[in-house]
Amino acid sequence: MIARLRQTLITLVGGSFLVWALLLMVPGDPAGRVLLARGITEPDPAAVGAVRQELGLDEPFLQRYLSWLWHALGGDFGVSWTTGRAVGDEFALRLPATARLMAAAVVLAALLAAALALLAVSGHGRWPDRLSRSLSLLMLVVPGFLLAVVLLDIVVLRLGFGRVISDGTWGTVFLPALTLALATAAGWSRVLRSSLLQARAEPYLQVATARGGSPVRRLFVHELPAALPPFLTLVGLGTAGLLGGAPIVESVFTWPGIGRYVVTAIDARDAPVIAGYTLLAVFIYVVVSTGVDLLVRRLDPRLTTGPRTAKAGAR
Amino acid sequence: MTPPAPTTRSGRTGLWSRLWSHGAGRTGLLIAGAVLLVLLVGPFLTTDPDIPNYTGKLLPPSGEHWLGTDLAGRDLLARTLSGGRTSLGAALLVCAITTTLGLLVGTISALVGGIVDTVLCRIVDILLGLPSLVLTLAVVGALGPGFGNLVLAMSVSGWAGLARLARSVALSAVSRPDVTAARMAGAGPVRVTVGHVLPAVTAQVLVAATMDIGSVVLALGGLSFLGLGAQPPTAEWGNMLSDSRLTLTTAPWQVLGPGLGLIACISAAVLISDALRDITDPAAAR
Repeated sequence: MIARLRQTLITLVGGSFLVWALLLMVPGDPAGRVLLARGITEPDPAAVGAVRQELGLDEPFLQRYLSWLWHALGGDFGVSWTTGRAVGDEFALRLPATARLMAAAVVLAALLAAALALLAVSGHGRWPDRLSRSLSLLMLVVPGFLLAVVLLDIVVLRLGFGRVISDGTWGTVFLPALTLALATAAGWSRVLRSSLLQARAEPYLQVATARGGSPVRRLFVHELPAALPPFLTLVGLGTAGLLGGAPIVESVFTWPGIGRYVVTAIDARDAPVIAGYTLLAVFIYVVVSTGVDLLVRRLDPRLTTGPRTAKAGAR
Repeated sequence: MTPPAPTTRSGRTGLWSRLWSHGAGRTGLLIAGAVLLVLLVGPFLTTDPDIPNYTGKLLPPSGEHWLGTDLAGRDLLARTLSGGRTSLGAALLVCAITTTLGLLVGTISALVGGIVDTVLCRIVDILLGLPSLVLTLAVVGALGPGFGNLVLAMSVSGWAGLARLARSVALSAVSRPDVTAARMAGAGPVRVTVGHVLPAVTAQVLVAATMDIGSVVLALGGLSFLGLGAQPPTAEWGNMLSDSRLTLTTAPWQVLGPGLGLIACISAAVLISDALRDITDPAAAR
């Protein structure tokens, strides 16, 4: 567990340093860009010097990284190069919309995955199984942005459900969340299906059947708890896909979240926004995946005894 | 998409035929073959995909324009074909780069060992701990939008998993009996690496890279869709879909070409990688 937390810390420090190094590669003098954003097109050297002082650009490399990281941890991501406003404030403005979208997408994906997997397991090898597998394959191969474009055209423009411009509230969340959730749900349902089948083949399930446990009891007492740890791991990893997919879905549905904001920032080469977004996404992902990992180890003690000692021996 | 050709050379004979006799694998191979054939031959039979014709804007599909025309009056069939070449070509390029990098880093890490191994492993661990699409976005953000930069960004964020695999395969290969025998017979480190360790590592990494192609096509399309990849007038499936958005209500046929192309490519990749997973699963193989 200590090793896992150390790994998390290393990933966070390494990842943030990588982001910081990338930020330095964006062309343009930061001081000049900030002044330009404040409406000063031809600044005199004194003004440039003052801003350089303000941004700490003359400090040594490592010190600049540490102070950037320190401020970022406190929610201060610097000043946007296009608007001249604090990036942290811009994020705070858009974070609720993105959080709403993410939450809806995770819930939808988990429900869909569970439904598909249970359908498959209920008729393993027969038509429900085949139907479920075909559905999940279909969900897997249709790209989210293609689905989004078609959904927006058919459901919203032709049939008149929903609104073209999303306002980021719960009322308009369904379509973007569904788009974001489909591919993720397909992947999850496949894993859930195979671990449910695996659990069903265990000797203790035959014992439970022999003792007269009903199918419902077997499902809820034995099969689902056994299939839960791998599913949870997958949900943790799935946040990466959702975080990465958010900019695309938010852009198509004009969802007023952080993802769409960062796409415009990339077009404008707005380095502090890009770095701030990346750091935020990395932080969320690393924290979620570590949390899930620790939870899964708690749920399934076999994971901490078996393979881990083998891995330690290999090093 | 492209099946792992060299694997047959490196002693894993039968991978092709096993893939072919696997139901999903055969379907995948057939779709992949059809897509490749159409993309290779098609562009010679169609008109120039980039020349606008403003008198024939947004024409529905007809005998002359099988998939209709877009807002600039360009033939959508021609654009779909050339866009497919761009998309698939870039995906293959990304996979070639990640495979090479993964092989190099993984093998070096395993064979050199010591501090080099520790440092390389740390870098791989960090990269694998980051969400890959977010990392790609960050690299594109740093380098600026453009197709070359997008390919570079995808490569940067995609090689780490393959390197980890290459390292573990190389580590187990080093202790194989034939490698020990070769070393005892007096083969130098270069000979042992190139002749005995690399073939095994290459085979496994190629199989793993093939499994990635679907997600690479998807990510490339998605980021191009956002305007971060191929720039106009170059046709690419992602940016063609993005261009069609404003006029989709009056001309829905614009979705057909790039949409079906993407679905075909990703289905082939998913089917083939599922089949490969079934075939190469160590539990099933032994």
